[in-house]
Amino acid sequence: MALRVIDPDYGAAGVPVREDLKEAHRFLLDHVRAPGTWWTGQERVSIAAASRGAPACGLCQARKESLSPGAIAGRHRAAGALREDVVDAVHRIRIDPARLSKPWFDEVIAGGLAEGPYVEMVAVTALVAGLDYFARAIGIPPFPLSAPLPGEPSRYRPAAAKPEGAWVPMIAPEDASGHEADLYGEAAIVPNIVRALSLVPSEVRALRRAAETHYVPVAQISDPTVRRALDRPQMELVAARVSALNECFY
Amino acid sequence: MKLSVVTERGEDDGGVAHGARLLAFVDAVQGCDDDAIERERAALRSVVSPEAFVDVCALVASFNVVDRVADATGIPLDPMLYAMSGDIREELHLARFRSAGNTPGAR
Repeated sequence: MALRVIDPDYGAAGVPVREDLKEAHRFLLDHVRAPGTWWTGQERVSIAAASRGAPACGLCQARKESLSPGAIAGRHRAAGALREDVVDAVHRIRIDPARLSKPWFDEVIAGGLAEGPYVEMVAVTALVAGLDYFARAIGIPPFPLSAPLPGEPSRYRPAAAKPEGAWVPMIAPEDASGHEADLYGEAAIVPNIVRALSLVPSEVRALRRAAETHYVPVAQISDPTVRRALDRPQMELVAARVSALNECFY
Repeated sequence: MKLSVVTERGEDDGGVAHGARLLAFVDAVQGCDDDAIERERAALRSVVSPEAFVDVCALVASFNVVDRVADATGIPLDPMLYAMSGDIREELHLARFRSAGNTPGAR
């Protein structure tokens, strides 16, 4: 079993990639294959593979083009040992997130997937989507998924997580203490997108790591003077267009 | 920034440097046409620095993550952001998105 994550190869991009981005990619690839809170490393790699494979799934394409995606029956194109309902949820989140709904979520949970594993599945699915979109944009093959790391899930459920108006319980900033004291960093305001995964705190930390390198740190989002090589209006234009195409209200 | 360019297709920069090229590249990456990505990548790289191009790729990646996290967890728009964004939501007709239903009063 490979204990070291496979180093991404950016050579085909033809542009220098920032070191902090490279480190974040290595971190995320390692994070995905490690035992999580509710899923083993093997299961997390399977979720990652299902996320990556979703764009080639015929059932998902048919549903995407349908006015009523729930009315299209069939089987997903997926390999591995994941349950069919898990593959279905991963594919829907990857391919058609704009049409997820509270009734759909309730059905997933009623089907036997508890909230904690659901949140962790969302995180892995979304983080791999991000890695894949980076590779697609810059013009390199998708980053290889490394072999899963051994170990058992921690099954840690933070006691402070409670209903906060989202579909899943979240930890309010004022309740982030003890093991979760670091969860939201130094940000004066913690937006719901940062709290969204807090039922599984390790996924909040991974999301923050991804966001601070690919966008800006949470504490600096509201500061219009913060920029990268792009100026801030350019950054916000790109971000807004992606979210508009994804039909994301948030 | 001219907000309408966020949801309209065209050659308008919207008051943002190289805005049209940025939007066309995002559209290509989010789409299914690999030739279009090649074409728009070359066009974008001809007008922005290598570092800025990498920033664009990173932003596309980042918002494909957060959009999915937001929509799959059903988070509402934060009250302060909701209060501040009324004009933007109206101009871009954002209430038409299904996920607007996760924010009380948004639809």
